[in-house]
Formats: sequence, structure tokens, C-alpha cells
Amino acid sequence: MKRVAVIGIGQRLRGDDAAGLEAIHQWRHRYPETANRPEVRTEALELAGLNLLAALENMDAAILVDAVHGPNPAGEIYRLREEEISSFSSDTKSAHGWGVAETLKMGRLLGMLEGVSICILGIQTGQMNPGEGISREVRGKILLLCEAIQAELNILLAQ
Amino acid sequence: MKSINVPALARVEGEGGLYFGIEDGRAVEIRLDIYEPPRFFEGFLRNRFLQEIPDITARICGICPVAYQMSSAIALENALGIEVSPEVRALRRLMYCGEYIESHALHIYMLQAPDLLGKESALELAATAPEIVKDALRLKKIGNNILKTIGGRSVHPVSVCVGGFYQWPDRQAIKALLPDLEWGLQAAIDCVKWAVTLPYPDLEIEYEFVALHHPDEYAVIDGDIRSSKERTLSVAEYEKGYIERHVRHSNALHGYTATGSTYLVGPLARLNLNHEQLLPLAKKSLREANIVLPLKNPYKSLIARAVELVQAYEEAILLIEKYQPQGPAHADIKIKEGEGAGATEAPRGLLYHRYRIDDKGMVQFARITPPTAQNLPQIEADLFALAPNLLKLPEAEATLTAEHLVRAYDPCISCATHFLKLKVEEK
Repeated sequence: MKRVAVIGIGQRLRGDDAAGLEAIHQWRHRYPETANRPEVRTEALELAGLNLLAALENMDAAILVDAVHGPNPAGEIYRLREEEISSFSSDTKSAHGWGVAETLKMGRLLGMLEGVSICILGIQTGQMNPGEGISREVRGKILLLCEAIQAELNILLAQ
Repeated sequence: MKSINVPALARVEGEGGLYFGIEDGRAVEIRLDIYEPPRFFEGFLRNRFLQEIPDITARICGICPVAYQMSSAIALENALGIEVSPEVRALRRLMYCGEYIESHALHIYMLQAPDLLGKESALELAATAPEIVKDALRLKKIGNNILKTIGGRSVHPVSVCVGGFYQWPDRQAIKALLPDLEWGLQAAIDCVKWAVTLPYPDLEIEYEFVALHHPDEYAVIDGDIRSSKERTLSVAEYEKGYIERHVRHSNALHGYTATGSTYLVGPLARLNLNHEQLLPLAKKSLREANIVLPLKNPYKSLIARAVELVQAYEEAILLIEKYQPQGPAHADIKIKEGEGAGATEAPRGLLYHRYRIDDKGMVQFARITPPTAQNLPQIEADLFALAPNLLKLPEAEATLTAEHLVRAYDPCISCATHFLKLKVEEK
């Protein structure tokens, strides 16, 4: 049985940076039969930093859902491979600079992610102002992001 | 005028830069520019109910949320005249052990060691010394697990309230932490042995060290505020001895003694002032590594953190072995008007809170003085002391050496950026 982690990453207090957390929350409610399967572990990681590595322990695959800062309009959804994310920055002001890209690189270097396939579902941020909620543009695409999570999981669980 | 400019400091929490102005071969201006926007926490704590404060202040920092929760809860308990039970006090110390472990492991191995070993980052260290970094991650994770077990989650825990905890953590879950802690204690002892072998730059500063002091234990959650200049104040008297000033180049206030001098808070200050209160294994580590106190080299705060790592693991084991929750998890609260101060030792140093509440328990006034704000003028003074050596170096090396010094402090710029009230005068 393939063990899959579905992990939302972000900060609730920084505008669109909460999109990954919100997507996980909505996906759990929309697809409870998948979210509650024993081989699926879901987690909302606020200020993930290096703690992301602990969340990936004993997993065969993982879907990371995070806000990204890229060139497209707010709400654009990306499906990224691990090697593609160094060119993106979630700009989360994460603790002491440990973003998702650096943390995954560290895990690979140390052999802690051997055999773990990782895909990143990103959503383009509009604003990340402290104390503000998710923008209308991004909120309007959260449902699409949930569907993307589910589609990704269906493929992984069928393998 | 020549200048050295580091527009954005790496591997520190928050946003800041460093500027050196040089004229006729000597440093005439040194600024730690803190441009992270102020967050006005003290402002929006006003008119919030006192029981909300520990959860809100926890959000000031992702690395040391427990420190903010504890200082605020203790200050509000003092405002209400509440005394917590010995069991609550012990659990608070255990939770704080978790925070010291995760914060110190991160700083020692991931933030400062790469500088001392000539590596660009912890990633480069991981490539050349993977076993060290693996141990570091495990050490850190154990601290996070303590926080998660007591606080419900490892970042911004949610169990702390004014008067104690919302509920006792499960005894079996707490006891289950022991095997990892036993491993961590040995790894921390090895960390001290390793820490003293690292190549530290030469720099000795005659600091005024300031830390909480408790006669019977290594002070973390209470005690008097002691200075190496023979000044001891109660926590309630803190603002008589220490003040904050606004400076033009910083969104963080700068802390000074009441007489206008700089001072140092943090692991070096704690170890130098409180080493007699260390637990036996931490004391033994100190002795066997031939560490001569007082340590006056700011780069060697790594050694102080390593000794505190042993202390935190050792204490966590002792507290867990005795953990037997009984009675209510928090004291009864009778709301009344009052004012109270609280101070605890965050991993980066003394963290002071003061609140005034009305007869409905609503906060009317809040003051938070984080450790980094207190250390900022001292960091600038250290940079001035370092400047004659820096100016002999090629620019790139000088820049790096100055950055290393700032990082050795483990400054938390995000915590430090609170701001003075804005006064607008129309003429």
C-alpha cells in the first residue's frame, strides 16, 4: 500500500500565503472518503521550515500545496516537479530562510527522502500583506486547487 | 566615503541589512538597518480579553512562541495576583525545554556552524558532513515533539492559558518522549565537545551581561533580573533599569540601560551569570570541555547554546520522570483591575511583558520588550569593535565576517520590530 502525504503549507496571517492551508481544509471536507483512507495522511503545516522533513518521514509520495510567487496572474495553479521549485519562491518569510525548496534539497542530500516522489501544487499569490485574508482572485481558485489535489491523489493511489 | 553594504542579511529571522561607513580608513558609521515593517502587536492587544493574549503573542515568533506565551501569561497572572501550582510551573519549564532544544539546535548547526566552518550554508554542510546535519535535525525534531505533545502543535502551541494550561497533556504521551530524549542528551553532550573545537574569530568584548537569576535553578521562567555590573532588580522594576529608544535607521526599538549603556542578553549572559545553577551533566560538560567563564567572545555564544542544549535535555528528562498531573490544570481566575509584569528567558534572551487590565479583564496597555531589541545597540557596538580588523580585510571577506557576527547573535528581527507610538504635530 502506497503511503501518501497531502500537506498544505503557508501562514494564515499573511494574505494569500494561507492558500495552501485553506486548500487542504476545503479538500478534506469535499473529498472525505479519500482524505480518511488509511494510506493517506493530511497535514496543515504552518511555518513548515525544516519540520517539513518530519512530515515526509515514512511516506512513499507527497503532494505539497503551497502559495508561490511567479510571473502569472493571482490564482494561477501550477503543477511543479521538485526540481522546478528552486526558481519559484513562496516568499513566506519562513523561519530563518528555510523555504520548501531548500528543505527538500536538504532532505535529498541527507538521503531522508529516498524513494519519496514529491509533486507540488502551487497557487500564484496576489498579496501577502500581514493580517489580511486570502484575496478574492486566489479564493476563487481554491476549488480548482482541491480538484487538482484529488486528481493527483487518484493517480498516486491507483499506482 | 567608502562603504560596505549588506542589503539583506541571510539566515536570520526577519528583514534587516547592515551598513558600514568608512572614512580615512576607519569606521565612522555602522548601522544595523531593520526595515522589516513594524507589526504593532502592542497596539492590537488593547481591548482584547486577557485570556486571548498568550495565543496572540505566540504569533510574534515562529521560533520562540512559548517564550511569548509564558511571559504574557505570567505578567497577566501577576496583574491578577494569581499563583500557579508547582505542577503547572514544572510543565511550563518542560515546554520551555522543548523550545530551547528546537531553537538552539537550529541555530547551532544550521545558522552559525556553516559560518565557522567556512560553508556557505547548511546545505553545503549537509553535503560534506551529513551525519552532523542528520543529528541536528533529529535533535531539533525532539524539541518540536515536546511542544507538540504539550501544546497540540509544534509551532504556535495552543494549550497555554493565563493560570496554567487548558488541560494536562496525556501522561503516556509525555513518557513516550523519554527514549528520544535520552538519545538527545548524549548527542547534546557530544555537541559541547564538538562546539569547543570550532574555529572562533578573536574578539573579546567587556559586556554588561543581563539575565534572569534564580538561586535554586537555571533561571528560565522566573527570578530577579541580574546584571554583571552588580545590579539586581525585580521583574516589576525592570523599566527602572532598562529603557528602549527609537533610532532613525531601525523599525525595532533599541534597548539601553537607564544610564544609556549597551548590554547583552541571551545565552552568553545566562551561562556567565547562572552557570552555578546548571544541572549536573550540563556542569560536567562545561568542566570537561575546559570552558573558562565568563565567555566574552560573541561568536562563542554557540558554546553557550550547546551547554544549554545539554541543560534542556537533562531537565526535560527529570521533569518527565516526575510528571504526575494532579489537580486542576489551571488556577481559578477572578477578574479584577490590575497591572503586572512578567519576564522569562527566551532562547535569545530576556523577554519582558507588562500589561494593564481593566475590571472586565480587557487589556488597556501592553508593553513587550524582546531580546533582539535589547541586543541591537550591543551588536552595533560589537561591529565597531570589530571594525579595525575588518578594514584590513578584502571587502568580500570583511562583509562576510561582519555578517557572521550578526548571525552569532541569532537575532530575531521579526520579534524586535515593534514601534513607538506615532505623534503628529501640526504647526
